Amino acid sequence: MIAQLDLQTCGINLNEVECVFERSLNQCLSSKLKDALKGKKIMFTRDEKNLFPVQGWGIRASTYCMTPITTIQPIVDNTTVSASDSSAIQIAETEEGSLYAVKSGIAISVGGNTLMHFKIGPILFYLSEQTIRNSEIDHRLARVVLVDSHIAKRMIRMRVERAIQMKLCKHFDKSIILIDGSLKSSLFEDNNQNIKNIAENCSLQQNSIIGISKNTRFKILDKISYPLTKIHCPAYLEVDLIIKSLVRNTIGDNLMVKFGNNNSPLLRADVVTPNHNKDEALGKLLGNDSIAEGYPETLRLAHHISTFTRIEVSCLKGHVLSNYDVTELAPEDIRKTLLGSISV
Amino acid sequence: MKILSKTGNELVMLAMKKETASKGDYLIIEDEKAKRKMVVQIYDEEYLSSQSLIEDIVKDEIVNASSTENLHDPLNISNLSKMIRDARVFRAKIRAAIDLSNKLSNDVSWLPSRVHSRVGRLKISELDLLIQRRGLFPIPIGKAGVDNEDFEIYAEDLDGKLNIITGKKESGKSHLSKLLVKRLVQYGAFVIVFDLNNEYGGLAWNNDGSPSSIQEQVIVLEPGNSLKFSLDYCGKAAMSNMLKNALDMPAASLREFFRIWDWLENKQMLEIRALGNAITTSNINELVRDALISRYHVIQSSRLFLDSGNPEGLSFEKVISEKYKGAVMMISMGKATPVVRRMIVELVLSKIVDLLEKVMIPPIFIFAEEAHLYIRDTYWEDIVTRMRHFGIYTTFITNQPDAIGDGIYRQVDNIFLFNFTSDTDLDKISRVSLADTDTIRSIVKTLPQRHCLSIGKVVCDLPIIVKIAAAEVLTLGETKKFFTRNNNDG
Repeated sequence: MIAQLDLQTCGINLNEVECVFERSLNQCLSSKLKDALKGKKIMFTRDEKNLFPVQGWGIRASTYCMTPITTIQPIVDNTTVSASDSSAIQIAETEEGSLYAVKSGIAISVGGNTLMHFKIGPILFYLSEQTIRNSEIDHRLARVVLVDSHIAKRMIRMRVERAIQMKLCKHFDKSIILIDGSLKSSLFEDNNQNIKNIAENCSLQQNSIIGISKNTRFKILDKISYPLTKIHCPAYLEVDLIIKSLVRNTIGDNLMVKFGNNNSPLLRADVVTPNHNKDEALGKLLGNDSIAEGYPETLRLAHHISTFTRIEVSCLKGHVLSNYDVTELAPEDIRKTLLGSISV
Repeated sequence: MKILSKTGNELVMLAMKKETASKGDYLIIEDEKAKRKMVVQIYDEEYLSSQSLIEDIVKDEIVNASSTENLHDPLNISNLSKMIRDARVFRAKIRAAIDLSNKLSNDVSWLPSRVHSRVGRLKISELDLLIQRRGLFPIPIGKAGVDNEDFEIYAEDLDGKLNIITGKKESGKSHLSKLLVKRLVQYGAFVIVFDLNNEYGGLAWNNDGSPSSIQEQVIVLEPGNSLKFSLDYCGKAAMSNMLKNALDMPAASLREFFRIWDWLENKQMLEIRALGNAITTSNINELVRDALISRYHVIQSSRLFLDSGNPEGLSFEKVISEKYKGAVMMISMGKATPVVRRMIVELVLSKIVDLLEKVMIPPIFIFAEEAHLYIRDTYWEDIVTRMRHFGIYTTFITNQPDAIGDGIYRQVDNIFLFNFTSDTDLDKISRVSLADTDTIRSIVKTLPQRHCLSIGKVVCDLPIIVKIAAAEVLTLGETKKFFTRNNNDG
């Protein structure tokens, strides 16, 4: 009652506010949710992560797909399989810029056994106007990188990964090179070490390059690949048309792949092979890397050795404090200070 | 080392791998701003542990087990990370504080600064200076502290005190008791040892076979040989105690026994054969006669009493007057039956109390090995209360701490605790001991052989771990084994 009186005093009509809401989202905010959601299968999202239903979206989804499925036969021939991954974090900020750390991992497997792995880093990068001015980074990109740490981290990660991939494709021949993510040109790439150059070098050395994405932004791919879930052995289906229509700058053949048996996850894979024989490349991957839970072990290992642990981050901070003559300032979480910290 | 936290009288400190310290070590925490110091003792050591640290270690182990690692780490962060994995947490008990006048105090209610405190190790000699632990009759018993310093206790702190030496089998208890006995005798003390395993005879000899410095002062008393008393010397009181407590003689029979005793005494015929004749011929109830005869046979077979015509029996006052520079009388009970052991103990203790009451002998130190095997339950209290006042100062040596009653532990002045691994024993000890439960449970469980935690007056109530010195005297009483080296070779 008191609340109503107060609102009336302010002259705010809540019904009008709701209409403003609906108009602002172009009628997407349905006032008739009951009708709109009736009979729908629903999966609740968590922390804005890309999730996928355990049993797929169900039989209705199969109506989207008419693409043939190709099974993959493992080829065991001692082909070298290498995988690389990296991660970048922001360590600190100064008045002029930000300090980032990057860590990379390379894992190598032959004949189904992981032979060795390389841990590279952590290595520190300091991005400020002065350091960027002295680099070869495009000045428009540089401005974005200086104001957005997420973009800065992506750029650092991308450049480091491309440098490693270039090294791998020059070092090995007739091997399989696995990359975490799609094979797509990016603004963040260095002109001399971009994905196209890497693919070109792979062709020269007769290496195959396979980019594997654990999840995709394109929901249509989940639905179109539904028939793959019904196959009990490794298989793939081509999604070239869809991917090329949605994304520019991708290279190679775009596939949805299932590397394991039965309930293994469906992954998006971009494949570049010297002889355009993707069946052979995927077969060699299956035959010469171990596949656990439907994911190549080398790529998993590369991921694990390239991620930062909390202890490493603490050590890095300690290293910076003790070696670079800096003065630590106490941080304040303004959002927390203003909003309080009532945990729910 | 840095202070992490304080709960009650416990401090938790962080240390890196190179900052070594062991359980039992003393540390001094100096608050430079407050100009105050605190003395703490480490009682436990563990790794600095957190969920993320454990996850890291597990992850690394799995990764390195599956493939060979090659590392390019220009900033050497992995080394720092390894240092953190090896970081440790010391748990320490606050023992005392040092005030502005550099004197030890009990005011430990203040908090040392985490930022401005310096943590250093405290040597045992420095600790001794602080607590002013000193005396005229040092007994070196081994080494202690961070720098393995020579450690000695003082005979004065054993004088008039009740001591317990306990630990599991073969942990070094007898070794320490021999050190104490030897040094007490060297200082002119008189010691009686109830030697259950006939092992103290070795005190007369050095390891190399040469006579020890106290050889002349070592007297081995063997029941039936050198340990024989005349009935007259024992007296009615000692005999009464022996018959009542060791041989369970009922009161009615006891009355008849002393009627016969008095008759023989009047006729000046008080000797063992005459006693036997009198029991069989005197006019007494047949049931009482049977009871007396059965006890007489036990007395006779014990060979603790002189037959007629034999030379003079043992006289404690005579031994003490002859060995005026101190002596140890070792009563070898290794071959005696349990009944005879009890008889010996009753006779000896009764006689000693009698002599002390009459001020005929100086105070006596008694070392009793596994005393629960031959001292009756009701005697314990007597030993720790009444006998102390007469001048009997007892040291119990046992591997069964639960055989000693809580009442004894509450009266105890010094405890020398050797290793115990059994939780039941540790529970018992920690419940009744002079130190806190955490210290006992954590330190004693991991004590190596021949290391003991000394608690009580000898260390001014600041527990100290001592590595007991190697034996100078001949070691006897070792377990006789069948599978010796010669047997195996043969």
